Amino acid sequence: MNVWELIIQQPLVNILIVMSNGLGNNFGLAIIALTIIINLALLPLTLSQIRSSKRMQDLQPKLAELQKKYGKDRQKLAAEQMKLYKDSGVMRAGCFITMIIQMPVWIALYQSIYLAMAVAPEALLNLSRFLYPWDAVYNALPMGREFLGMNLASPSIPLAILTAATQWIQQKMSITPSTDPKQAQQSQMMLWMMPAMFGLLALSFPSGLAVYWVVNNIFRIILQYRVTGWGGLRRQPSQAAEPERRRLKFDAAAEKPKEEESSGTIEADTSTAPPMDKDSLKPSKSRFQPGKDRQKHPKK
Amino acid sequence: MKINWPSRIAFLLALIITVGLVAVGCVSGLTPIGWSGGTVSNGFLYIGSQQGRMVSLNLTDDGRVFSEALAPVSNPGLFGCSSATAGGGCSGGAAGVPVYGTPVVSGNLTYMAGYNGKVYAYNTSNLAVRWVYPREGNLQPFVGGLAVLERPGLPAVLFIGSSDGKVYALDAELGDRLWESAVSSDKIWGTPTAFGDTLYIGSFDKILYALNVSDGTKKWEYPTGGSIVSKPLIYQDTVIFGSFDRNLYALNATDGSLKWQFTGQNWFWAEPVLYNGKLYVGCLDKFVYVLDPSTGVKIAEHELDSAVASTPVVVGDSVIFASEKGIIYAMTAGTYEVRQLADLDVTVNGPLAASGDIVYIHTQANALERVNAVTGALLTGISLQP
Repeated sequence: MNVWELIIQQPLVNILIVMSNGLGNNFGLAIIALTIIINLALLPLTLSQIRSSKRMQDLQPKLAELQKKYGKDRQKLAAEQMKLYKDSGVMRAGCFITMIIQMPVWIALYQSIYLAMAVAPEALLNLSRFLYPWDAVYNALPMGREFLGMNLASPSIPLAILTAATQWIQQKMSITPSTDPKQAQQSQMMLWMMPAMFGLLALSFPSGLAVYWVVNNIFRIILQYRVTGWGGLRRQPSQAAEPERRRLKFDAAAEKPKEEESSGTIEADTSTAPPMDKDSLKPSKSRFQPGKDRQKHPKK
Repeated sequence: MKINWPSRIAFLLALIITVGLVAVGCVSGLTPIGWSGGTVSNGFLYIGSQQGRMVSLNLTDDGRVFSEALAPVSNPGLFGCSSATAGGGCSGGAAGVPVYGTPVVSGNLTYMAGYNGKVYAYNTSNLAVRWVYPREGNLQPFVGGLAVLERPGLPAVLFIGSSDGKVYALDAELGDRLWESAVSSDKIWGTPTAFGDTLYIGSFDKILYALNVSDGTKKWEYPTGGSIVSKPLIYQDTVIFGSFDRNLYALNATDGSLKWQFTGQNWFWAEPVLYNGKLYVGCLDKFVYVLDPSTGVKIAEHELDSAVASTPVVVGDSVIFASEKGIIYAMTAGTYEVRQLADLDVTVNGPLAASGDIVYIHTQANALERVNAVTGALLTGISLQP
C-alpha cells in the first residue's frame, strides 16, 4: 500500500463503510453524507475560491479599460494590471491554489466510493486490502447497493441527466457574460462541454459516483448562490438593449467619476433594467422612483 | 491581454477530473478480467481465458485448442467500467468475457460459466459448443464455478450460483434446466459443492445454504457475519468454508450445527485443502494456516508476502500456495516449513492446478505459468491467446 492509499484512501474507504453501516446499510446515504462532510470541511477553501473567482470577474471591465488605454505599451499594461490586482486584493493564483489543494480530496473521495462499491470481483478482492480490522467494517460488507430504486453499482440514466443538469446550472451561475465574442464563445463551449462530459461519464460509471457528483454540484450551487447570487442564470439583456446599455454606462462613468470605482456593480444593476433614455442617468435629474414618480405624473 | 479565468479554471478542472477518472478506472484493476483456474483431466488441462475462450492444453506436447470467444452481453460503457461489463478496453487485460469459475469435466463434455451470464458445454476433443444455457438471453454474471454431480445410473447434474441470487441445476448432457432455487437475497459468487444428496453454497447475504440436489429446496442454512465466496470443503461429515467475517467455519454437514470456528485477520476467500489429515488454508491477511480439521486448532502458520486469494494445490509432499503478488511457495507437510519456489512478479488470484510435479498458475497477464514444485524451476509460460 502506497502513501496515498495509506493516508487518504484507506481512511476514507473505512469511514464510508462505517457510515453505511450506521445509516442502515444504505450506501447511497453514506455517499451523500460523506460528500457533504468533505464539502463542509473544505468550505473555507471553496468559498475562498468562489470569492476569488468573483473578484476576478468583477475586475474584467477595468482590465478591459486598461487594455484599451495601454494596449500598445505591454510593460505599462502589465504594471497597471498588477497594480489593479494588488489594489483589489486579488491573488491571481488564488483560485488555482485552492483548487489544487481540493483536487486530491475529491479524487480520493471518488476513488473511495468506487472502491467501496466493489463493482467487479477484482475490485472486491482489492477492497480487502483497505479494511481496518474493525467488526463494524467487516460486518458491513458487502454494502447495500439499492438506493431510491436504483442499483448504485450500475449506470442510471436519470442520475446521469441530473448530473449533467446540476453541472450546467453550477457552471452557468459561475460564468458571467463577456463582451468579447471570442471569450463568450469559449465560455459557451465550456458551459455545454463540462455537463455533457459528466453526463456521459455518469452513463458509463456506476451510479454511486453520479450520486456523489450530483450532491457535490448541488452543494456548489448553494455556495455559489450565497456568494454571487444567481450569476449567469439571471435573465440577460436583449441584444437590442446591449449597445444602449454600454453607452449609458460610458455616459454615467464620464459624468459620475466617483461611481467608476464600482462600475462592475452598476453594469450588473442596469443590465436587468429595461432600456431607458440616457438623460435619465444625468446627475442633474433624480433617479426614477417607481412609486413616487407614478404619483407625480398626473399632477403635471 | 484579457484572460478568461473562469473558462481556464473550468478547463483545467475538466482536464484534471478526466485524467483522474480515466486513471482510476483503468489502472487500479477495477474492471473484470477473470481468474479461472485449470482442471486436469486425461492428460489435458482445461482453463477459461481472459478473452472468454475455453482453452485445452495437451500436457504432453503443449498443443492448445481454443473454443470460440464468448459473446459479450452489452456495451461495456465508455471506459468499460460498468458492473455488468464483459471486459473493457481499459482493463489492461484482453478484451472479452471474463471467466472466473474453474471449468469442470464430465464424460466427454467440459463446462464453463462466463461473466456474460451463460453456461457453456464443449466437446472435450475439439471444444465445439454442445449447448448453451440459457439458449436465449443472459442471466446475471457468473463469478462462481460449476459443480458436477455424477451418480451411478443417473444423468450427471451441473449446479451453479448466479449474481441474481439463484442456484441453477442443469442437465449436464442436454443443458436443460432441472430446477432453479431463489435461495439468496443477494448475489452468489461462490462455487457450490455437491456431496451425496446435498448441495452446499455460500452467498453474499452471509449465509451458507444446504440444498436438496433433487429439487433445490433448503435443508438448512447457517448465518455468518460476512459474505461467503469460498467453495465449501467436505471432510467426513463436516463442511468447512471461509467467510468475510474473518472466520473459517466447520459445520455438521447433516444439520448445519457449528463444530468449530477459526478466526483470521482478514477475509477467507480461497477454498481450503486437506492433505494428510490436516487442513491448509490461505487468508487475505497474508497468512497460510494449518489446522486440525476435527477441532479447528491451529497447528502452524506462516506469513507470506501478500494476500492469498488462490486455492492451494497438493504436489508430492508439499502444499503449494501462490500469493497475490505472484510468489509461489511450497509448504512441506509434516514440518510445515515454507520455501519460495518462484517469483512470477504478476498478480495471481485464481486457483492453482497441478499435474505431476508441475504447478499451473493462471496469471492476470492472461498467461499460464508453470513451475516445477520439486526443483522450483520456472518453465516456459503458455499464452492463453490464440
